[in-house]
Amino acid sequence: MAKIVVNATHKGGEGKTTNSIILAEYIALVLGLKTLIIDMDPQANFSGRYIKMEYDPSYKGGKIPALHPDYEPLIDKDWDGRSSIANIFYGEEVIPYPTSIPNLDLLPAHSIKLQEAEAVTKNDVVEKVHLQLKRFLELEDVQNTYDMVIIDTPPSKGPLTIAAIKAASHIVIPAQMEQFSIEGIYGMLQLWKQETYCRAANNPITLVGILPNQVRDIKLHKQFLSGLRKGKGLGDYVMPHVIKKRAIYTEILVEDANPKSIFELPVNHVARNEYETACRYIMEKVNHGEKKGVRN
Amino acid sequence: MAKKKVFAISNALSNGIEETIQAAHDYSGELRVEVIPLKRIEVDPENPRDLALTYEDANHGIAKSDPQFERKEQEVESLRGIANSIRDQGIINPIVVYKFGEKYRLVAGERRTLASIIAGKTDIQAKILDSKPTELKISLLQWIENVERSDLSLWERLKNLEKIVVAYAEKNNLPNLEISVTELSNLIGCTKPHAANYKAVLDADDELKQFIFSNQIRSLEKAAVIATIKGFDLKQHALDECLAGANLKRLRGIAASASTKISHSKKPAESRGRQTTTVNLGATKNIEVAQLILDSILKNNALSPIAIHFKQVDWDDYRAINNTFKQLMKKLEELHA
Repeated sequence: MAKIVVNATHKGGEGKTTNSIILAEYIALVLGLKTLIIDMDPQANFSGRYIKMEYDPSYKGGKIPALHPDYEPLIDKDWDGRSSIANIFYGEEVIPYPTSIPNLDLLPAHSIKLQEAEAVTKNDVVEKVHLQLKRFLELEDVQNTYDMVIIDTPPSKGPLTIAAIKAASHIVIPAQMEQFSIEGIYGMLQLWKQETYCRAANNPITLVGILPNQVRDIKLHKQFLSGLRKGKGLGDYVMPHVIKKRAIYTEILVEDANPKSIFELPVNHVARNEYETACRYIMEKVNHGEKKGVRN
Repeated sequence: MAKKKVFAISNALSNGIEETIQAAHDYSGELRVEVIPLKRIEVDPENPRDLALTYEDANHGIAKSDPQFERKEQEVESLRGIANSIRDQGIINPIVVYKFGEKYRLVAGERRTLASIIAGKTDIQAKILDSKPTELKISLLQWIENVERSDLSLWERLKNLEKIVVAYAEKNNLPNLEISVTELSNLIGCTKPHAANYKAVLDADDELKQFIFSNQIRSLEKAAVIATIKGFDLKQHALDECLAGANLKRLRGIAASASTKISHSKKPAESRGRQTTTVNLGATKNIEVAQLILDSILKNNALSPIAIHFKQVDWDDYRAINNTFKQLMKKLEELHA
């Protein structure tokens, strides 16, 4: 079964998207595994890194994926040429976009369709949103095509995030070592706990851990980090590696960046080294359960 | 000089985080409570049903041509109360199902499921088991569900319990219904006296059961008292009194008159463990009580020969008092050797 890693926290600006990008590129470029990335965030930043996102003419500020490279207007009469992960909420077909990175395919966001999917009534939300991503990823086609799935989530605890968590086998919580961020961790742990209650013993949702992100050499960050590490039971879930605040992690996100990926940096580059260690740790945790149980 | 700053995560937050992780660990993979669509639930064809009403009936109404139309109408009526509360409050306890292909099969909660459909719901909270549980487990789960229902008759409870006992006996290769009160109390999680009552009624003769079946006897306690009366006439008497509306106290009185007639032996009840061969006279911290006991004993004229030994007791010293009583026991035993 493909492993499904979700980067989630309902506080914004913690590094969900950056972490999704770097982890996905690590898996595709360094490990060479067939990887599907999914953008559940209506902001569509994750998608924008890999394909051209167009401004939605009917919805100010909203974004829609560019035409699919395989789309042929003369033949594909029943398709408008765009495909996004939001399609699963409308019973429509989804067609992943290839990216410039080998082994890496993308199911992009579609701002308005994702937002509207979230707006279903309370009665329908379980059937129409919460379980849809899980069902999609369980499809034989998806399972046979990909080894790994990385999902980026919106900064909320809403139906889209819940759908991602319901589909996940592993969850990573990136967090800054600051007051609101730690409150955010608490909120995500609640969601994780709730989901563990729904899972069968042979289909667990594993909390890979909290990834301390954008850490600076200041007292506040150090003391919050050591506070978390010392926390009873929590210590095991704080990753042993931290990601420091470095310009390079935001520079690679710029449109014409060079290098475009931190994995294009020399192997011994301090930033590459730092993030690669964290990625390796995540993947060790992800592969750890391999022999133990077969997922449903 | 400015005070040195210390940044710490607040206690409330770190406690909350710890408790969350602990709770997640404690119940992971066990609880499995999910919200599932009602349309994916079906009854287990192997389990006997008490209701005639089907899901289709609850969903689309009962066909006038249905031969069981009236019975089903009554069942819908009886489910209205739960349906209303489900509409307002949702269900309080999740139903129990197990996975069967794409469907979920019911283990417990048929009435809640049907009532939810009647209430117009599309999904329901359910505890999901991975596979079909054993007969014993199913009957136990049904028992747990049923004890919470006030509208269940004594007969229905007994029938449920009988299933549990039969399944338990089968599992443990016991001859039918040969189950001890302790086993029964452990099995259904009730006190031993309560289990003893159930066992007495389970073992009762057919006549008594007939009255329970016809709902003329509704109280477990009353039925148990009657079931344990040995003499035929007395039992008939108790039964008549009960049907005439005698209270529990009165029935116990009748039963007690039976036990004085039948058993005269004062043999202590049999017990397990090492045999008890001494009488422990108890202990007290209250010196006045000790004094009272000693005085009362020595007032007995037959004991005047030994009274002389206990004239001077240091009533302020516990040790001395203990020695006095030891001596008293010794003297008394000598007298009654």
